[in-house]
Amino acid sequence: MSLTDFHRFKELARQENVVFFYTGYFSQSIVTAMGDSLRLRLASLDASQTARRKLFSVFVEMAQNVVHYSADHLSASSAADHEIRMGSLWVGETDGQFYVVCANPITPEGVEHIRAKLEPLRTMTNEEIKARYKEKLRAEGEAGSKGAGLGFLTVARDSSNPIEFDFVEENDGKPFTTFYLKATI
Amino acid sequence: MQNLYIAPTSSTPEVNFQFDRHQLSLRGESYPENAHAFFGPIMQAIKAYLPTLQSTQVTVDVQLAYFNSSSTKVLLELFSLFNDAAVAGNYVTLNWHYIEDDETILEFGQEVADDFTALDFHPCALVE
Repeated sequence: MSLTDFHRFKELARQENVVFFYTGYFSQSIVTAMGDSLRLRLASLDASQTARRKLFSVFVEMAQNVVHYSADHLSASSAADHEIRMGSLWVGETDGQFYVVCANPITPEGVEHIRAKLEPLRTMTNEEIKARYKEKLRAEGEAGSKGAGLGFLTVARDSSNPIEFDFVEENDGKPFTTFYLKATI
Repeated sequence: MQNLYIAPTSSTPEVNFQFDRHQLSLRGESYPENAHAFFGPIMQAIKAYLPTLQSTQVTVDVQLAYFNSSSTKVLLELFSLFNDAAVAGNYVTLNWHYIEDDETILEFGQEVADDFTALDFHPCALVE
């Protein structure tokens, strides 16, 4: 990539009001460092405390989702600690609203599982999402979940618009599908 | 019983449990990689401490600016233990500190108060 291309890349990010972009391996210490950087950026932006906290919350849930579940990993897949996995994350602003987009590889078998979890969240009202969150918070943990099984619900709760998602098949020879998730605060 | 102090990090709160004074506090942020691993020893300490009490006034100060979903679940389990201790004849005050315009943190505090009615719940707004 020539320096002119890098400039185009940077200009596109500027035009699209990308506040933050990272691609590579995610670990807890990288998430924490990104969180510190994001905080500094948010402090200089004109946003309410609630909007800032919601944005930070969506960022942490998505980034920790990559740490725990991305299919492309350096750590053993059964590890519950010190995990390192591949993904990308954007934070930006459109028409005064912040958004967070996360992308990570998943196995093709994971597609329907994730779709079944996310599709209902798109049509639920805020009140329904809150009620579902309350119920799930008090329920027993879910098999296969490394956290509370509340990550997607938290993202949906903190979004002002329905969450958006997509699955894109890659032609890079790896047996993975890329899962995209977008939340607008 | 020995007091418990854990210094804060960017992603874990300061834990200051002064069991000898019956004053316990959690302050900061909570989004560790594994909330069960972080809170495990804290829950153990609380489970050892609460049964030793008899008609005791315990004050719990919680001032968490942010906690992730897995920490939320563990916090609820923690408050459930305090509620049981209050039902068993102790007096547990929960001072819930939140930044004034942060509705999500206040709402969660109110849910805790609704779920665990034996706790003496005090929302405390922090003005930035």
